[in-house]
Amino acid sequence: MDSLLSGVQYVLNLGPTVILPIAILFIGLLFGTGFKNSFKSGIIIGIGFVGINLVIGVLVDNLGPAAQQMVERFGLSLTVVDAGWPSAAAASWASPVAAVLIPICLVVNIILLVLKGTKTLDIDIWNYWHFIAAGATGYVVTGSWWFAILCAVLYEIVVLKVADWTAPLIQKYFGLEGISLPTGSTAAFGPIGILIGWLITKIPGLNKLHADPESIQKRFGIFGEPMMMGLILGLVIGLLAGYDVGGVTKMGISMAAVMLLMPRMVKILMEGLIPISEAARNFLHKRYGDRDIYIGLDAALSVGHPSVMATALILVPITLFIAVILPGNRVLPFGDLATIPFYIAFVVAFLRGNIIHSVLAGTVMVTLSLWMATDFAAVHTLMMEGAQFTAPGGATEISSLDLGGNLFNWAILKFSQMWNAIF
Amino acid sequence: MTKTVLVACGAGIATSTVVCNRVENLIKDNKVDATVIQCKIAEVASRQESADLIVSTTILPTTYKIPALIATSYITGIGMEALDKKILDHLK
Repeated sequence: MDSLLSGVQYVLNLGPTVILPIAILFIGLLFGTGFKNSFKSGIIIGIGFVGINLVIGVLVDNLGPAAQQMVERFGLSLTVVDAGWPSAAAASWASPVAAVLIPICLVVNIILLVLKGTKTLDIDIWNYWHFIAAGATGYVVTGSWWFAILCAVLYEIVVLKVADWTAPLIQKYFGLEGISLPTGSTAAFGPIGILIGWLITKIPGLNKLHADPESIQKRFGIFGEPMMMGLILGLVIGLLAGYDVGGVTKMGISMAAVMLLMPRMVKILMEGLIPISEAARNFLHKRYGDRDIYIGLDAALSVGHPSVMATALILVPITLFIAVILPGNRVLPFGDLATIPFYIAFVVAFLRGNIIHSVLAGTVMVTLSLWMATDFAAVHTLMMEGAQFTAPGGATEISSLDLGGNLFNWAILKFSQMWNAIF
Repeated sequence: MTKTVLVACGAGIATSTVVCNRVENLIKDNKVDATVIQCKIAEVASRQESADLIVSTTILPTTYKIPALIATSYITGIGMEALDKKILDHLK
């Protein structure tokens, strides 16, 4: 018995690059993708993890010391690196609770659908990582599996509700027939953004302003190209850190590399997940597809809209500026600058594409998001350590706007901490 | 001549990976001479000069000089064969 336990402990200590392939193999078998496909999926996902690990290494090794230098030279206290949603998603998938949460979240969706608690059938398995992230947050704070499951299910229910509620809006504005968008971050930023947007339209004078999305896309286009954005940010940060010409150039290339390589690594992770995600989609379609429901898909479907794009591009420099001047903020925005379109998709639809109103609402949203992400940094860093992405006790803290600066997840964090304090 | 397909989505990761796989298999199975590039929709404007077809999972933010198809079918799983045919017609 003892040797069995120590054997299990040995495997667990090997970390997500070993555990996740094994877990995915079993989940694949559960969904009937066959041994060969499931085995391959598992290995590909393991490789994706190794890749993400390498890129986070480049990010933290370069940006961490530079951020420290900026603190010493200018008193800019931006010591928490925004590693972006790819690292948050990877840390979530790597959490010990991930494997059980995928089937649980599927079953919860089906139960809600049958009981008419929701109209959304969420076939976007990839974005289940947001629910898992909530579970992982609860798990890191309390160490309880049951509490982790509770957090994930609560998060899922709220996201499905927001998806139901915004479905008529997005169907009309984006022309997405029969579709809703239960993407965790988009849904979490939506309600608060819509509230702020509504208040803005009530301010006299402001409600008459308009801007043209086409010309903004042309002028701010550079902020839409991650590689160039990484290069420029790297160069500026290198200069602020007081590096010499060589150091500044190296910093620029390294940050451009992170922006280009990170999505490539996540792509590998995704490729491993595709057979399972398709099997789950087909299963759900066959059993429940004939009802009068919304098909829940990735909010990525909506973010190409001209007004969403234009608003997000303007919000990139605004976010950086706010991060520098905002009292109490410690997050250096980086990875999730590319994710801003997702945060504002519902808000732009609500404001019928008025870019000036959307930018104002977005500015308030990123301000709140930076504060929450700062507050989330300690737990976010723990989650990354749990996934062995960073060395325990490393000097650099990690957060992200997508997971750390997300209202619903932040509420889960507070709920978990409260629970931990009481029990 | 080898044709180039740009597969684009909002973030250049999630939905475009699914579509990328589908289009790559489509090209291989039908022995079409084409390469697939995965990118963000915001990058399409600056890359269109060297491409022949855009396959996007998201709404198009502007009008492009080359033909563009919306690939929601590959994400929902409904009407995938019809879209296969449309893509092949553009590449042959």
